[in-house]
Amino acid sequence: MSEPTTEAVRADRLVPWGRSWTATLGLYASFVRLSFLKFLAYRLRYYTGVISYTIFISGHYYIYSALFRSGTPGPGGAVTIGGLTLPEMVTYVAVGWIGRSFYFNNISRQLSRMVVEGEIAMQLIKPFHLQTVMLSEAVGESCFRLMMFTLPITVVIVPLFHLLGPTDFALYPWTFLSFCLALVIYSQWNFLIGCLAFYLKNIQGVLRAQMVSMDFLTGVLIPFTLFPHWFQVVVQWLPFQGISYIPVTIFLGKRTGPELYQAIGLQFAWAIGLFILARLVFKFSVRRVIAQGG
Amino acid sequence: MAPLIHVRDLTRDYRLIKKREGVAGGFVDLLRPRYRDLRAVDSVCFDIEAGEMVGYIGANGAGKSTTIKMLTGILTPTSGKVSVGGLVPWRDRLQYTRHIGVVFGQRTQLWWDLAVIESFRLLRKIYEVPENIYAEQMKVFDDLLGVGEFLHQPVRKLSLGQRMRCDLAAALLHRPRILFLDEPTIGLDVVAKESVRGFLREIRDLQGVTVILTTHDLGDIEQLCRRVIIIDKGEVHFDGELEDLRTRLGRRVRLTVDLREAVTADDLRKVTADLPVTWRDREGKNHVAEFRRAEVSGAEVIRQVVNDCQVSDLHLAEVDIEEIVRDIYRAAGKEKA
Ligand SMILES: Nc1ncnc2c1ncn2[C@@H]1O[C@H](COP(=O)(O)OP(=O)(O)OP(=O)(O)O)[C@@H](O)[C@H]1O
Ligand SMILES: [Mg+2]
Repeated sequence: MSEPTTEAVRADRLVPWGRSWTATLGLYASFVRLSFLKFLAYRLRYYTGVISYTIFISGHYYIYSALFRSGTPGPGGAVTIGGLTLPEMVTYVAVGWIGRSFYFNNISRQLSRMVVEGEIAMQLIKPFHLQTVMLSEAVGESCFRLMMFTLPITVVIVPLFHLLGPTDFALYPWTFLSFCLALVIYSQWNFLIGCLAFYLKNIQGVLRAQMVSMDFLTGVLIPFTLFPHWFQVVVQWLPFQGISYIPVTIFLGKRTGPELYQAIGLQFAWAIGLFILARLVFKFSVRRVIAQGG
Repeated sequence: MAPLIHVRDLTRDYRLIKKREGVAGGFVDLLRPRYRDLRAVDSVCFDIEAGEMVGYIGANGAGKSTTIKMLTGILTPTSGKVSVGGLVPWRDRLQYTRHIGVVFGQRTQLWWDLAVIESFRLLRKIYEVPENIYAEQMKVFDDLLGVGEFLHQPVRKLSLGQRMRCDLAAALLHRPRILFLDEPTIGLDVVAKESVRGFLREIRDLQGVTVILTTHDLGDIEQLCRRVIIIDKGEVHFDGELEDLRTRLGRRVRLTVDLREAVTADDLRKVTADLPVTWRDREGKNHVAEFRRAEVSGAEVIRQVVNDCQVSDLHLAEVDIEEIVRDIYRAAGKEKA
């Protein structure tokens, strides 16, 4: 007769344990689902979102219209600014903000609050990666935003400003994929910024500064082509162009063939690179965490 | 067999910024902060066997929560060693947390916006609890804690007592080997405290979980723990059976006397000069004496006092565990000072 495995019965040992791939996916899928349901429960708070996005995009429309009217026509006869015609410019801005209504989240603020208030302790006692949980929740939030913001805004904005959709229908799924990668880059960058709360006494200023600079660096506020050359060179080497500039230019048909794959590949690389970096930074930071209070 | 929980020379410092004076000082602080280390836990050692239920007590700021945070892998110690069932909590966090349950009385581990039941379902996934065990556990929680009543309410709408009961259930859903409780009865009324204590007793007997519990309510300790560890200013001052704590300090008795006329403590000391009794330094009509039951009987002390003084009232009481512990805290405080 065989003895029961000593590993299982020894009172002074904890049995090793691991989660299968499918269980892991199932677990993080539940976080996506619950986050979606949570936002759905609070949907009343977000009804005004559609209106503010619409007003914002309209504002841009009128500013650029005025700019283009005062511009001098180029050789082709049409006024271009930074290589874009007025309809292209309006589409650029509108698609950028429609995309932003999808990938936006507040991970940096959530994480820093957790750290400052010591709430993070309750996450560290659970056998999961907080980073992956927060990414899953961001995905859940974006599903909600897609339904609550992105689609309604599109329905309102497109006829209002006669936006130009690409005639090549393959660009629609590519743009969507590109914005999905934007979501990963955006959330992982935010997670990294949130990790600063482990080291800084007051992170509010940093959060505000990064919110504002992000809108410049992603290209959502103003197309890169309007900036000086050195700025355009710098942003080439930063992850932020993968958040708005790349997906929007894909949509505008500015990237075709190998350039398209290159752009998507670059986004992939940043998404994975930032994910790994965020995991390492979090792990290192937790080791020196100063759990507050309690 | 090795003990389940093995702690050696566990030490944790918190780094505090030493403030300089004035506005100029504030600027200097920003640029070149000066630090001071506060030792919250100081060379703590203990071993805990599987199945034990240990009370970890001490005054405010003694270092209890800091110790628990290190034992649960949240906080990395400054130095020292912890091994729980062969794992190092802060190093093997993902492996380790699978086997423990944790309740911090001041916080909740439930998802604030979700109905309680959703939290439990999520926990079931996190810990991969099999369906049959999940059902069994939920039944136990309902029978002993009555969580069934508010399963469908969102956590943020629960009362403190209800939330604490849910948190306890959440910590035990996956049948952890070890349960860490940091003030699990804080803010609870008498009835809720009783229900929590009853639950912990049952769970210990039913599921043989090893428990470390901190509390300021010694009733919890008396009802649940045979063993106590007393910590003060980060250092362990007592580690042993609760019963030992009582006898080591002797079963002390306190006699309170009301006299018709004001006298000094010295007068009374003369009256009981041949007995091992200590009078508190007081003047007036009310006096207090303490003695050990093993050394002298209450009757004898009373006889002498009544013979020599004009007594209007007498009160004899055994010093309770709470006061014994308070004395230990106080003695520890003096030692340091
Ligand atoms: N995050 C922190 N930063 C700086 N000092 C801290 C921090 N957390 C705790 N301390 C200090 O460490 C010491 C021990 O604190 P701890 O919270 O462990 O005490 P405790 O025994 O749990 O007290 P209580 O009974 O009040 O909960 C205290 O002097 C406290 O001020
Ligand atoms: Mg505490």
